[in-house]
Amino acid sequence: MATAYYEFYRGSSIGMALTDSLDELITSGAITPQLAMKVLQQFDKSLADTMVKQVKAKTTLKGHLKTYRLCDDVWTFIVKQASFKMEQNEVITTPRIKIIACKNGDAIEAGKK
Amino acid sequence: MSNKIVPSIYRAVIDDVMGSIKHEFEEYGVSEEVLQDLQRKWEDKVIASRVAEFDPPNPAPHFPSHSMPMMPQYAAVHNPYPPPPQVAQSQSSQQQVKTEPVDSRYMLNNANYTLPPLPGPKLNGVPPRPNLGGQTSVISFPSGPQPGRPTIPQVDGPSDDSDDSATPPPASYAPRASHPSLPQPQASSSAAPADSEAINSDLDDSDTEDEDLEDGAGANTDIVFCTYDKVARVKSKWKCILKDGMIHANGKDYLFSRCTGEFDWV
Repeated sequence: MATAYYEFYRGSSIGMALTDSLDELITSGAITPQLAMKVLQQFDKSLADTMVKQVKAKTTLKGHLKTYRLCDDVWTFIVKQASFKMEQNEVITTPRIKIIACKNGDAIEAGKK
Repeated sequence: MSNKIVPSIYRAVIDDVMGSIKHEFEEYGVSEEVLQDLQRKWEDKVIASRVAEFDPPNPAPHFPSHSMPMMPQYAAVHNPYPPPPQVAQSQSSQQQVKTEPVDSRYMLNNANYTLPPLPGPKLNGVPPRPNLGGQTSVISFPSGPQPGRPTIPQVDGPSDDSDDSATPPPASYAPRASHPSLPQPQASSSAAPADSEAINSDLDDSDTEDEDLEDGAGANTDIVFCTYDKVARVKSKWKCILKDGMIHANGKDYLFSRCTGEFDWV
């Protein structure tokens, strides 16, 4: 794996579930932190690839933009009264939502520490 | 529909990850039990989060529910495999032994550093004692005290005594010390940071601060993780094209491959 994938999906439900599970195993001594890192890197790749290959849904989003921020090619939006229109006329509304968007372009290193 | 596909996508991701890291686990010499344990834990948590409707993953008969039998089963593992528990125990005991002295030193220095806002000049006398020599050894100390340090350099100018280990050049210290008016600002500014605990600008937007505080409040803040193709603005109208996103809203997960957003900003 020469290229890296974005790591921010680790903050999603499935990503946090994996991180928590790995932390439990590290604490119990079953695995090393290095192995956990490898698992998370594999997760980044698998999730990104699966999303690209298998997810085809399109959606539109409308709302009132409360805050916008661009830093290091990462946009962060806070949208109020957001409503997502999914396919089959499914609509999701939330009073407030945060959007974190990294620059598109596959396999870009997210962390430049 | 993008919520209905979530279980199958997650299942595909979990299977893919598990299949790929099997090789890594073997390389690291970790048993397959741990691999299966990881998968079980991961699936349990994803199911427990109820972000979509999942089918129970394990049809195996000896796992009626995942949480309870896991414990005795895990304990049973220790008996046929004596070496791992010994290693684990020695590791954990070593860890406990190792962490204790660090903790006490950490706490000792932390106690010193929680004083800072008020007795600015006094702080300078305290650290050199345990550190045997002042500036350089403070920097070389483990990372524990350092999180507390930033509050000190942020304290206003006159308490330059505490800045000696931080970035401001010592040259600024010398001319100030010669000013006779120094003691007065010292007294007043040492009181001010105590109230605010940091340098605050009046220009800070309190709206965003409150939102950030709300944000930290656990897994139920609605959030979207995605990539952007294009973000554009015309006057106060924003348009963006987002790709490959995962939406967590109202406790549920949704996925999209493409999203066009339109917002107005006041």
